Amino acid sequence: MKAAAKENGMSIEILLVEDSPGDVRLTQEVFRDANSLIRLHVASDGVEAMAFLRREGLHIRAPRPDLVLLDLNLPKMDGREVLAQIKEDSGLKTIPTLILTTSDAEADILKSYQLQANCYLNKPVRFDAFESLVKSINDFWLTKVKLPSQAPSG
Amino acid sequence: MKSARSAPTTVIRDLSLPDAAEKHLAQMESKYRGLLEAAPDAMVVVNQGGDIVLLNLQAEKQFGYRRDELLGQKVTSIIPEGFAERLVADDLRSAEDALAQQIGTGIELIGRRKDGGEFPIEIMLSPLESAEGILVTAAIRDISARKTDEKHLAQMESKYRGLLEAAPDAMVVVNQSGDIVLLNLQAEKQFGYRRDELLGQEVKNIIPEGFAERLLADGLRSADDALAQQIGTGIELTGRRKDESEFPIELMLSPLESAEGILVTAAIRDISVRKAAEANLLQKVKELYRSNEELEQFAYFASHDLQEPLRMVASYTQLLSRRYKGKLDADADEFIAFAMDGASRMQRLIQDLLAYSRVGLTGMDLLDISSEDALQQALINLRGAIEESGALVTYDPLPTVLADEMQLIQLFQNLVGNAIKYHDTRIPKVHIVAARSSGKKWTFSVQDNGLGIEPQYFEKIFGLFQRLHKREEFAGTGIGLAICKKIVERHGGRISVESQSGHGSTFRFTLAGSREKS
Repeated sequence: MKAAAKENGMSIEILLVEDSPGDVRLTQEVFRDANSLIRLHVASDGVEAMAFLRREGLHIRAPRPDLVLLDLNLPKMDGREVLAQIKEDSGLKTIPTLILTTSDAEADILKSYQLQANCYLNKPVRFDAFESLVKSINDFWLTKVKLPSQAPSG
Repeated sequence: MKSARSAPTTVIRDLSLPDAAEKHLAQMESKYRGLLEAAPDAMVVVNQGGDIVLLNLQAEKQFGYRRDELLGQKVTSIIPEGFAERLVADDLRSAEDALAQQIGTGIELIGRRKDGGEFPIEIMLSPLESAEGILVTAAIRDISARKTDEKHLAQMESKYRGLLEAAPDAMVVVNQSGDIVLLNLQAEKQFGYRRDELLGQEVKNIIPEGFAERLLADGLRSADDALAQQIGTGIELTGRRKDESEFPIELMLSPLESAEGILVTAAIRDISVRKAAEANLLQKVKELYRSNEELEQFAYFASHDLQEPLRMVASYTQLLSRRYKGKLDADADEFIAFAMDGASRMQRLIQDLLAYSRVGLTGMDLLDISSEDALQQALINLRGAIEESGALVTYDPLPTVLADEMQLIQLFQNLVGNAIKYHDTRIPKVHIVAARSSGKKWTFSVQDNGLGIEPQYFEKIFGLFQRLHKREEFAGTGIGLAICKKIVERHGGRISVESQSGHGSTFRFTLAGSREKS
């Protein structure tokens, strides 16, 4: 039971798929402030994200993430494609995948849920709002939500 | 009348023919008399001396004489001129020739009644051989009515022609086969033809399409119907000059009844100038629309794209402040504070600008919506500001209007938000009412007890980035009322303010009422 991780002192693995270094660092800082057990891994494009999740190439020792934070507009392979591949993969589809983007276009929101995104979040413009969003993610997805501890076999 | 009828018998007897022929003649005469009386015209038989020897009832009536008063009299007493003279041979011709020349032709003369009154007549002559030589039978028709008609017609024609020539437009009269039967000077000028080059020609020569076709009946309608459908309407077609150049025309048709059937009068106006002006205007409007749209798109994308780097600046200065406040020196704290303030103001500016350009870019969803619901939603959105200021916001029952709900909420939110924000030490009071104005329109008023606005700023405050206060007094980007104006105008309404400095302001705007009932 992953929700027990915090109490057990086990680390929480998050994969952040984001190409903007400023956003990456900011997210790292805010998550670190929110929960010191979080280990944030970063993939800066869709191809790298899939390699990480499938433990390919350099990522052969990558941990299975407890949560994926996915931006939609990415180089090489965009977030929609990454989302589709995660949700089509029986080994990956149980990983909660949260869309975190600046886009508030109705079409993006709809498409994301059609592709089985677990939720869609707008990156707030203001820093304090972003802090409070990260806190919410921590409180809900990493604390309250019960998730299967292992990847389903097959 | 009976005595009048018997009189001619006497006259015939007076001709004193030999006894042997008398009986035969009597028979002939009675036959002839029968014919004479049956004739629709006045009939007078005259001998070559110009004496009346026989006449019928119509002749008595027409000239106002009794029969016995005319028999044996000179025909000049009833037809003073032009008839008797014709009976007499002159130096140049024999009596027979003189007569032959007149036989059958309709001669127009003047008849004179017993009372001296004169009237126009037409006479037809035919010879009647008799013992005393050739007599002349004259059928006399009173043509007063026809003459009047003719005169009237001539007058009408000249009047009509006068009108035709006086008309400012080219006028062309066309028959139902599409041939030009009449035209005016303007038509000559406009199409570059001489009149004789067009008369009798097909109207297709000057109006190649759309006119001649309209004159003709087709399977679905009679000629009259076809015409009736076109009467009076301005039809835009193309005219062609003699030099084959073409120009836009507007056609007005009206029917003209004539002996040959219905003619069509076409007033033809050269609308080149109007057309060019219209096209020009349309082009200008298009350009203006496009440049406006481009500007809005530019504003939208610029502000949208500026938001990203700005988010970095703002977030990191805030992070700096969070981590290092009090750990560096006092200058550093102050610098960071200025950077944070600048970044956060710019964020608000960009957000407002985005909201402003969004009003113009997003399609409007005009529906019948409750303006009261929209106001309530706006008040929920303003809850923080209302609680903080302790403002008292009240409203009368508000109507259903035709509006885009999101935009109406924003409109109320901006106006009520301003009313709460710009106040002095008193507790802000805001009251919203709606009153029916002309037609189906509603005028909404948002009245406050705030600072008020000086009259010279009434117009200005609705402009983009217009502010009346220093930032230290009231924060703001100067976009809120510009958004209000844009929303109201996109709904086809108007917004204005009435205020007295120190005595509060009333913002008024109009909106169309519900589409259903009044």
